[in-house]
Amino acid sequence: MTQGTNGTIQLVDLTKRFGDHLAVDGINMDIPSGEFFSMLGPSGCGKTTTLRMIAGFEQPDTGRIVLDGQDMVHSPPNKRPVNTVFQNYALFPHLNVFDNVAFGLRRGRISKDEVNRRTNEALELVMLGDLGDRRPSELSGGQQQRVALARALVLKPAGLLLDEPLGALDAKLRRQLQIELKSLQERVGITFIYVTHDQDEALTMSDRIAVMNEGQVEQMGSPREIYEAPETAFVADFLGASNLMDGVAHGRDDHGRCRVTVGDHELVAALGQSDVNGPGKVTIRPERVQLERPGTADNHENRIEGEVERSIYIGSAFQLIVRLNAGCTIEVEIQNSGCHETFEIGSRVVAYLPPDALRVLPEKRARSQGAPAVARASDTERTGKREETTEPSTEKTDTGRTARQAQA
Amino acid sequence: MNTIVDTAPRRGLFAGILHRLIGLVRNPHGKPRALMTITWLYMIWTIVPVVVAIAFSFNAGRSISVWQGFDATRWYWGDPVHSVLHDPGLQAALWQSLKLAGLDMLIATPIGVLLALGLARWRGYGKRPANFLMLFPLITPEIVMGVSLYLVFQYVYVFIDPSTTAQVIGQVTFSISYVVIVVRGRLMSIGAQYEEAAADLGASSWDSLRLVLFPLMLPAILASMMIVFAISIDNFVIAQWLSCGAGCDTVPIKVYSATRSAPLPSINAVAAIMVYLTLGAVLLAFVLYRFLTRGERVKGQAEGGLTQMGSVDFN
Repeated sequence: MTQGTNGTIQLVDLTKRFGDHLAVDGINMDIPSGEFFSMLGPSGCGKTTTLRMIAGFEQPDTGRIVLDGQDMVHSPPNKRPVNTVFQNYALFPHLNVFDNVAFGLRRGRISKDEVNRRTNEALELVMLGDLGDRRPSELSGGQQQRVALARALVLKPAGLLLDEPLGALDAKLRRQLQIELKSLQERVGITFIYVTHDQDEALTMSDRIAVMNEGQVEQMGSPREIYEAPETAFVADFLGASNLMDGVAHGRDDHGRCRVTVGDHELVAALGQSDVNGPGKVTIRPERVQLERPGTADNHENRIEGEVERSIYIGSAFQLIVRLNAGCTIEVEIQNSGCHETFEIGSRVVAYLPPDALRVLPEKRARSQGAPAVARASDTERTGKREETTEPSTEKTDTGRTARQAQA
Repeated sequence: MNTIVDTAPRRGLFAGILHRLIGLVRNPHGKPRALMTITWLYMIWTIVPVVVAIAFSFNAGRSISVWQGFDATRWYWGDPVHSVLHDPGLQAALWQSLKLAGLDMLIATPIGVLLALGLARWRGYGKRPANFLMLFPLITPEIVMGVSLYLVFQYVYVFIDPSTTAQVIGQVTFSISYVVIVVRGRLMSIGAQYEEAAADLGASSWDSLRLVLFPLMLPAILASMMIVFAISIDNFVIAQWLSCGAGCDTVPIKVYSATRSAPLPSINAVAAIMVYLTLGAVLLAFVLYRFLTRGERVKGQAEGGLTQMGSVDFN
């Protein structure tokens, strides 16, 4: 079923408005052939609408959807070489499993033998070879999900669109199917566009993720980039496992670090952008915070006093909730090395926030056609890759070029 | 130090019984006795007149109000003059009723289904007024419908005389709304997802209507056919206003005029036959429904099919 080089999907300045609500606000995406691409975001962020526009169920207001150089915006869903796995599967209840899977094949001019062969092949692929004569209502949720997958894959689409396909399953089955889905995608080599609000799901399976919020792409990159180097407070917050403190940034200091005040404490942050001004979020991962006894440190840089509010033993580590004097609470994770001193609830501590673990994020991405030009130019991120952060701008010219080629 | 706790306060005999009864009704974990009683009372109340009417069709004598012994056949075919079988007037009325109901069913259902499809898929301006206007024939008093239809045929559709044709047109006009409401309810609960799935898999609109939507709508179509048949076969007002005279008399008209003069139990017999036919139609529709939706049911959820079929969701 491998497709070779086709299955590249480009979204160019896609917008969709429902009444007064701007559901999708000028989205640009460039999805290469065979990629497992995820759109991740909270409900109402426009991810499903984007997917439905690619499938053809919604007509975009402006923008282009380019599949292998062909603009698809004006072709109806039944003429598009993409197939969808619906959130609730939408299996035809009056047809058995075999007829459900064969439905698409029978719409084309394909001989009966070929239909039977390919249907059985697809059912084998999802390990449902012996359930062909069952009705969808007689299957479990996981089995229905596989039928939906087989029904879409049997047509050998250039791209497979998945709208939260695991949303209706229980946690254990979901994890199992995540792995199956990923290995299936690698086997068939079809471009997958996967919509989810579950960050674990997106991180586990995707080659690349677009984090979406309010109809726009907040950040696009590999799971690792997204998780480890969030560019906006929204991304850091949505992917969780990070302390977010309200602060006010005051630009760069002499060492190229960002000066920021949290409450009345002045901190310096060395991660991420340093040339930030105005209100923003200061983030640090729980495992990077160091706790000290009051009066043991020799200087006061990046140290805030506080009080232990809660201490949770989670086996491999201690999770402490510390209320800082700066007015916020942070989560601190201390590895359980067996011999370290414990911090009692109510005890006074000093939290050391190392500059090289502290990141200042603007409240929201500067909105000028997707990519914040200023912030990007001054990006001095140490851990992040520069080429990655400049990607959206090259992508824009890329899609522009291919679009012109398509027009020519 | 002992404390005496009164667990059951002392009551007199009647207060005790009353307390028990109240407890019986109020007990939230017990059977819903009050509900069951009311339900059964209602069922008996509604079914008694029908049972009485049918019972008198088996009367041995000529009275429709005094029981004179049991005779299973006299008024159906036993009596050489007055039985349904030997009274051409009654038979004609029966045929006329069946003809009207059948034609109405066959004409109103397809039109109503198409209309429901259109209304359910209609987006944009005019949708709400159209949906409201659809209810108009239902909320208009039938006598008003009858009179106005009569006037319309008298002054507008002058090329159609009061006749069977006029009666059919009148009843179709009236019963389309029922089809629309039932089918549209089903369409709403089906939603757009199956059509989208069909389109996604490459089906044209016609294919998706034929292969997906129609099979899913079938239960509602059957239910609405049944409803149209039932409301049409006992229609009196419209059939009467558009009647061409004795030749166009339906069973209700016949029954009505007979009770004005000299009623015989043959009237009950012909009414009973109508009840049997309607019951037969319902049963047939139910069996068909069960057959057609056999795949949709999850095991252990088999009962209540008739209720399901008849259920209308007003969204």
